[in-house]
Amino acid sequence: MTTGMSTADDAVASSFTELWGRLVAGLIGWCGDWDLAEECAQEAFAAAVVVWERDGTPSSPLGWLTTVARNRARDRFRRRTTEAAKLALAGPDLGMDAGTEADPPSYDEIPDDRLRLIFTCCHPALPMPARVALTLRTLCGLSSSEIARAFLVTESAMDKRLVRARAKIKHAGIPYRVPPAELWPERVGGVLAVLYLMFNEGYAASSGESVLRVDVSAEAIRLTRSLVELLPGEDEVGALLALMLLTDARRSARVRNGRVVPLGEQDRTRWNQESIAAGAALLEGHEPPWGPYAVQARVALCHDAAATPDETDWEAIAGLYTFLPATPVTELNRAVAVSMTAGPRVALDLIEPLAAELADYYLYDATRADFETRLGLLDEAAGSLRRAIELASTGAERRLLRERLEALSAH
Amino acid sequence: VKYLLLHAVDESANANTESSAAQVALDAWIDEMTARGIVLEGARLHPVSDATTVTARDGQPVVLDGPFAETKEQIAGYDVIDCADRDEAVAVAAAHPTSYVGGIEVRPFAPGMPDPEVPDTVAAGKRRYLMLVCADMRRAMAAAREQDATRNNPTPDDEGDEGGADIDAWVDSVAGTRLYGWPLEFPDQAVTVRRVDGKVVTTDGPFAETKEQIAGYDLLECDDLDHAIHAARTHPVAGGGVLEVRPLWG
Repeated sequence: MTTGMSTADDAVASSFTELWGRLVAGLIGWCGDWDLAEECAQEAFAAAVVVWERDGTPSSPLGWLTTVARNRARDRFRRRTTEAAKLALAGPDLGMDAGTEADPPSYDEIPDDRLRLIFTCCHPALPMPARVALTLRTLCGLSSSEIARAFLVTESAMDKRLVRARAKIKHAGIPYRVPPAELWPERVGGVLAVLYLMFNEGYAASSGESVLRVDVSAEAIRLTRSLVELLPGEDEVGALLALMLLTDARRSARVRNGRVVPLGEQDRTRWNQESIAAGAALLEGHEPPWGPYAVQARVALCHDAAATPDETDWEAIAGLYTFLPATPVTELNRAVAVSMTAGPRVALDLIEPLAAELADYYLYDATRADFETRLGLLDEAAGSLRRAIELASTGAERRLLRERLEALSAH
Repeated sequence: VKYLLLHAVDESANANTESSAAQVALDAWIDEMTARGIVLEGARLHPVSDATTVTARDGQPVVLDGPFAETKEQIAGYDVIDCADRDEAVAVAAAHPTSYVGGIEVRPFAPGMPDPEVPDTVAAGKRRYLMLVCADMRRAMAAAREQDATRNNPTPDDEGDEGGADIDAWVDSVAGTRLYGWPLEFPDQAVTVRRVDGKVVTTDGPFAETKEQIAGYDLLECDDLDHAIHAARTHPVAGGGVLEVRPLWG
């Protein structure tokens, strides 16, 4: 939304992320048609902008939106009478004769169908990029252009990806449900991967000028919390929630004046101790072997537990990274920890072999520049920073890198 | 002798070329071949973007998006035909409109196949899926060629006693879900029919060279995709081959 919004616009905007997922999930459960659910949800929000301005925000916004969206769906059925019979066969009774609902259901009366929705969005029969895109679209209400920017593809390519994914759900008969218990172990892993991507999307906002997308991170945390309640025996679900909370704890210190503040320079008094305590509590009592989320959460806790950067237990962090599969990004992170104990020369040698594989990853060049600066290789460091600036995808990241570059030339 | 016709068409090239004329030609072929008692069963399939495969990685079953093999042409439909001999089967395939836009693989079924009995209408609340059973059969084919003189046609029981027992147990476990299914002869028994400048051209072998080859199929009637995936991952081939589950059109 643009500037100069009215209060009703504000009310609609603030409830959008919060309510979109629940509205769409409920509508799909009600009518069984993803396209129709999304179209009618969109129309309900459009109507809310007008009506809430005139009549004030209703006491149950979700109930209001649900009622309006259902009525729109019924209108469409009436207009397309020939198709109505077909749809009635395919889906549940939509209460065609009920007319309009006099009393909108209250928030608590509408079942939270988001878990059904996320298990369906994360179904293994869908390609991974489509799972992420569908979850961001249907659960978080991100537009396809926002998702397209996040994944560096064109909007038309993203539209096509979403259309194809919805077509597969419909044609291949991917069920809209929380899977039965025997399928949980494998399906949960897929859901966690999507949730973590979504959290990072919200946290790092690799897609735009605004660095923090609080609502997307919060939505990821909320969905993960629901999963913890549903799957109390799955350690990795709790570990992912811990990782999110321990990362999210630094949120308000991570950006200052539109600039990303590196971990070592953050005002640690602004870290959220409540989130850190909650994250630490989730990790307590779980012995190795740890899954990837448990390891990453413990790394985050090593940082969060240090009152000053000097107190960081870098040896513990370097040791934790060896628990993870040795991917180039893991090796890069481990090298940062190694540089703090064994020095930047050893670390630079560690990341040298990763150059080709991480050629498009700005943090490779940014990390390299840091090692080179510490070794006094200032010309090399400036070259690495220039490459990093070219590769960085947000303005805030580029600003930080440019500042470092200016500081270098001042030497 | 029963043959399977596999219609292979390049989806990307033919996405927008479906014409009413082609539909008329297809209807005419179906009407004629049904009247002559040649076509026993057949269906159009959803595109490969709606396909799901079940295979094994590191001994664990995995579910993936997409077909069993990336090929230039994709299977768009199939027909089961009953013909006097291979020449007649090729002529029946050449008369099919697919021959103008793609290839038709003509492959004999293993002997002893009963007539497939498939209800015209799908049971309420159910969906139909074609499950292609694929495996790397080059070794088996080479072995079969070596002992060509003594070779018998493969039937489910020829896969060794253990394999046969596994298949029987699987068939029992999917009773009520599986409408029918039968193994095919090896791919080296296939002939692919196309038209070049309107003229019928036949080539030996399947419609595409792939790592795994289609060994047979089962027609399933399931509640949803998870149900079909369950049938596929419990199939004895899932541990060493690939099963593609593709929804039928309509």
